[in-house]
Amino acid sequence: MKQISLVALIFIILLGGLFVYVAEDIPDFGDPNSAPNRYTPLFTLDAAGSVGALDQGVVPEALRTALEDRGFRDYELPTSVKKVTDGEWDGYLVPDEQYYKTAIAKFGTAPDAPKEQKYYFIKQEGDTLDVYRYAPIIRYVEEGEHETEVPNMVTYILADYRGYDTLGETTVIFTAGISVILLLRRRGKKPQ
Amino acid sequence: MTEKDWAHERDVIVETISRLMIPFIQLFALYVIIHGAGGPGGGFQGGVIIASSFVLYLVAFGLAAAGKRFPERANNYLMSTGVYIYAGVGLLCLIASLGAAQYLNYGFIPLTHMFEENRALGMDLVEIGIGITVGAVITEIFFNLVWKQDMDETEKEGQE
Amino acid sequence: MIIEEFLAKYNYWVAIILILIGLYAMIAKDNLIKKIIGLSIFQTAIFLFYISLADIGPLPRGTAPIVSEEIIHMGYVYVNPLPHVLILTAIVVAVATTAVALGLVIRMYEEYGTIEESEIIEKERKL
Repeated sequence: MKQISLVALIFIILLGGLFVYVAEDIPDFGDPNSAPNRYTPLFTLDAAGSVGALDQGVVPEALRTALEDRGFRDYELPTSVKKVTDGEWDGYLVPDEQYYKTAIAKFGTAPDAPKEQKYYFIKQEGDTLDVYRYAPIIRYVEEGEHETEVPNMVTYILADYRGYDTLGETTVIFTAGISVILLLRRRGKKPQ
Repeated sequence: MTEKDWAHERDVIVETISRLMIPFIQLFALYVIIHGAGGPGGGFQGGVIIASSFVLYLVAFGLAAAGKRFPERANNYLMSTGVYIYAGVGLLCLIASLGAAQYLNYGFIPLTHMFEENRALGMDLVEIGIGITVGAVITEIFFNLVWKQDMDETEKEGQE
Repeated sequence: MIIEEFLAKYNYWVAIILILIGLYAMIAKDNLIKKIIGLSIFQTAIFLFYISLADIGPLPRGTAPIVSEEIIHMGYVYVNPLPHVLILTAIVVAVATTAVALGLVIRMYEEYGTIEESEIIEKERKL
């Protein structure tokens, strides 16, 4: 065998062996509560006086200061809390007020505004409160059908919520066509 | 290899079948583009299917006939038309939403009276643009990979 | 125990074997077209790996992400549609890369008269 194919074979086998060590840390596929599918864990709080305030729909002060200490900006703090079941609450906020005001002024019955959006998830475990943050996919899956009247999730994510990336994608394939023209605009060999 | 090996040989079965199949392939491509909103599909997939119908024409009828039917100039114009349509829809949304200028927010185009319906119709326009560009580019790539300058002269000599 | 671990994550193993096959073809083969084939196998394995991460749950298994009322009543859940969106973009990039690579191979054939990598290196050394 040639020299480079032997070296390549040894390199490939070493890479495969390295993957065996990495593979035991990867979770089994399909975890409904893991980070990209549902929510990511942020921090835990002491449930001192907050449970009563959460049940009434008011954001407790301990939660606000904890979020501000960790660097969340003003418009990312929750404005209201709703109850899901016993011991679980959803934190809502209004992400984009100017957009909805313009839409109502033009159309009258725009998307129900001001539109609140699920952002935080608070769960009570005994004495502590776990705070999670919902993944952005939750908005696309649950409210995409109402906001755009299109059933296919992949199409409305590609063309509406992430439409700017698809514009860049069209430019990429246009560039591929142009570069093939530039490369192969040649004179053929004359037959002799 | 002499130049005679590159001349196109006609085959009755391939020509007849491709004459029957090409319109239906193009109709299916249009269906996939428009029904990308209701089921699997969309702009990229439909563009590739329409390009495959042009490639079938090239394989069945030879390079000279395909070069006459799909001239290179028209292909070059079609390649940029799709990108213009996409960016043009975005500019239209920018103009139509006067207060809060939002690029590519299709809800503000005044096609129907509902905000959500406008978004679905804007998406259809954009998918048509993507389909045109992708079809033209893949056709262009394939024709350029096969084309050779003395092949055109060989075809002309073969017909004389 | 090892067999159960192996069977629980079979999609990762299939993807990594295809990645290794593609990488070997890209490094060790001499013909330029075979290198491009290796590149294509590599990219396809990456797409398979990434989309298989989008599944939801052992039970109930996710179904295709097209919203329909009857499916919600029957109790299904939808798979995560975000990897599908990203892979659509990646497939287009793969097509573009393969097209430009094939154009480059044609130009190299016209310049050097051969598409074996060792012969091209010999000709470059003589120049």
